[in-house]
Amino acid sequence: MNNIIFTVPGCTRCKIVKDFMKEKGIAYVEKDIKAEGKEEFQQFYTANRKSIYRGAEGIEFPIFTDGNKICQGIGPVLAYLNSGEKLAGYFSVGTLHREWVDGIHISSGNSKYADDLMSVLRYLKGNAMKLKVDTNGKHSHILQMILDNALADNVVMNVVGPPDLYSTILEEEVDLRDIEKTISLVPKFPEYQFQTTIVPVMRQEGEAISYLTPEEVALAAKFIEEVTRSKKHPYLIKLFNPREAKDERLKSLEPLSPNILFKYRTVAREYQMFAEVERE
Amino acid sequence: MTYPSVYPTGVTIYNPEKCWNGYTVFQAKELGALVIDMNGAEVQLWKGLHGFPNKLLPGGYVMGHTGERNNAYGMQDQIDLVQMDWEGNIVWRFNRYEYIEDPGEKPQWMARQHHDYQREGNPVGYYVPGMEPRVDGGNTLILCHKNLKNPKISDKLLLDDTIIEVTWEGDIVWEWICSDHFDEYDFSEEAKNILCRDPNMRPSGGGMGDWMHINSMSVLGPNKWYDAGDERFHPDNIIWDGRETNIIAIIEKKTGKIVWKLGPDYNTSKELRELGWIIGQHHAHMIPRGLPGEGNILVFDNGGWAGYGAPNPGAPKGIKNALRDYSRVLEIDPVTLKIVWQYTPVEAGFVHPVDSNRFYSPFISSAQRLPNGNTLITEGSGGRLIEVTPEHEIVWEYISPYWGKNMKINMIYRAYRAPYEWIPQLDPPKEVPVERIDVTTFRVPGAAPIGRKKETIVEGVLPYQGDAALCVAAGDEVAE
Repeated sequence: MNNIIFTVPGCTRCKIVKDFMKEKGIAYVEKDIKAEGKEEFQQFYTANRKSIYRGAEGIEFPIFTDGNKICQGIGPVLAYLNSGEKLAGYFSVGTLHREWVDGIHISSGNSKYADDLMSVLRYLKGNAMKLKVDTNGKHSHILQMILDNALADNVVMNVVGPPDLYSTILEEEVDLRDIEKTISLVPKFPEYQFQTTIVPVMRQEGEAISYLTPEEVALAAKFIEEVTRSKKHPYLIKLFNPREAKDERLKSLEPLSPNILFKYRTVAREYQMFAEVERE
Repeated sequence: MTYPSVYPTGVTIYNPEKCWNGYTVFQAKELGALVIDMNGAEVQLWKGLHGFPNKLLPGGYVMGHTGERNNAYGMQDQIDLVQMDWEGNIVWRFNRYEYIEDPGEKPQWMARQHHDYQREGNPVGYYVPGMEPRVDGGNTLILCHKNLKNPKISDKLLLDDTIIEVTWEGDIVWEWICSDHFDEYDFSEEAKNILCRDPNMRPSGGGMGDWMHINSMSVLGPNKWYDAGDERFHPDNIIWDGRETNIIAIIEKKTGKIVWKLGPDYNTSKELRELGWIIGQHHAHMIPRGLPGEGNILVFDNGGWAGYGAPNPGAPKGIKNALRDYSRVLEIDPVTLKIVWQYTPVEAGFVHPVDSNRFYSPFISSAQRLPNGNTLITEGSGGRLIEVTPEHEIVWEYISPYWGKNMKINMIYRAYRAPYEWIPQLDPPKEVPVERIDVTTFRVPGAAPIGRKKETIVEGVLPYQGDAALCVAAGDEVAE
């Protein structure tokens, strides 16, 4: 099967991907879904609905397929065209528009392929896109490379919890020095934000799952203060939505009331004075 | 607004038999929280205690603020909200809403409170039989500011209004943000257009849009409408009004959604057209259970200039496009939207419309329903307080003698009447009637008394006409 790229008229992101393919000598067929490709895309969408994300504002383009793989959005498509499956995990469909590209996850890919990642980010930046990346603290050396090469305009760090729960929450052994290094790098970017989601945690095997407590979120805020020696970072506290959980065990959890966020904010402000709560 | 250069201040009218007698508290301009008795005697001043507004609590307590944020960076932000005892000791304080670092100023936590707050136990902040505000605990609802951007409204920085609920211990347990509900306010496309371009930009902090400017916030409390099954009037729900948009709204406490509203456009129904445009209003609240008129909405409808919409000669850009140069105090049935009682220039005895601006405060002001059915009205811009009976007789009048040094005006933002027993530290004062002076004969020293030295009879002149042929027409004098 040929490489097919589904596009919409006036889509700058589609043009950037097409230019990339031309530069790399990758043959492709373009289907404008508002013109000749309308019917074909409808059939394609119906057959592959599970693989295509449709958000509140519709479907993000471009969508690329080579017959085996379907990629959606400028980041995932460029990553696949540049490096195949090596960059899996680093990119997802973004939510930002115009010049901003998000859905770039520093901590989620294979760190062996950091150079490939830099190559994709460089291409995006070379096309005047602004990049918003996120991290949970892992792979601080990649964030350092991004900083050294000025490849991100905005960084969001999800401080998943206090230091002693970090490995438990991420369900893997975490080197806290790596996390601390990331915390120290984040404020060096042009725009940044720390955040913590009040996630459910299984503290001991067999024990009931319970949400992070206000005191534990305060300790996460304190963690940021201790590493950066500043209480004045933008810091957002978010609710966990059990319905969107990937882990089946969590789907049945009772969601926390939005008003409980204020209690978390009050205690977190002891260590991060600009702590705010997520609004609907 | 013809003011003489010389006129008395203090109490000018007092009929103890018809008044609901008590103490009156208000913020004397650039002086402090002042309590006066019915004869105007100043029985207590908490000197320098700011008041936006000041409110008395049972036991001789007062609420206010220890300072205001530098106006170069903030618009009307009070740094805290405090409860102070009779001797000036702070017994409760809240300031931890936002940590503020203004250039050249001491970094500090601030409440950013403005215009209103309500202590648990009482829905409206003034005396209601059986609904005493708590003085040693309970939550406090506070109207605050927050700066944010909301692209639905404008790309400019907004000075948004928020309402927070704070426990006695100072924890915030509830927050409502005005701009989150922009889609529920029913602004016309014309209004959205000018709001987008100029959301009432003020110069503080390099420019911020005070787009709604909520100036009043209170709880509905128990009421007959809810008892009859109308969920919009749940006792926990909150009523507020926005001076810049001419909106009066009730929000559901549980969801934050707008469940009842007047404005921003008063031309959209027969009932609203009959009610007439409410403009730049203040102190809209539901009269609490236990007071005459309970369940009705009492509001000081300032007039002046406010609103967003189509441009007109008085508002070439469409901002502040509703104009009226007199005020009205309205008591409105919230279900039928009929006016139940009003005090306007007509009831005040002025020739309408040519002399209507004698009852006019284009900003601030308030109205408090008293237990005997009287209404205490703050006609704020001229520092005038009046108590009027249901039949519109003025039975008490006071003019503030306090002009500011920085701002040369004797304005009173909002005054409240409290019963004598709320200040147990004082013996109830003597109530001495003050007869209304006949201004036609009243003279200052040196001025000649009224009376003609010579009268000449002119033969053949006709009697004077009534008032129907003035240079300007009363808007409603010709039937449509």
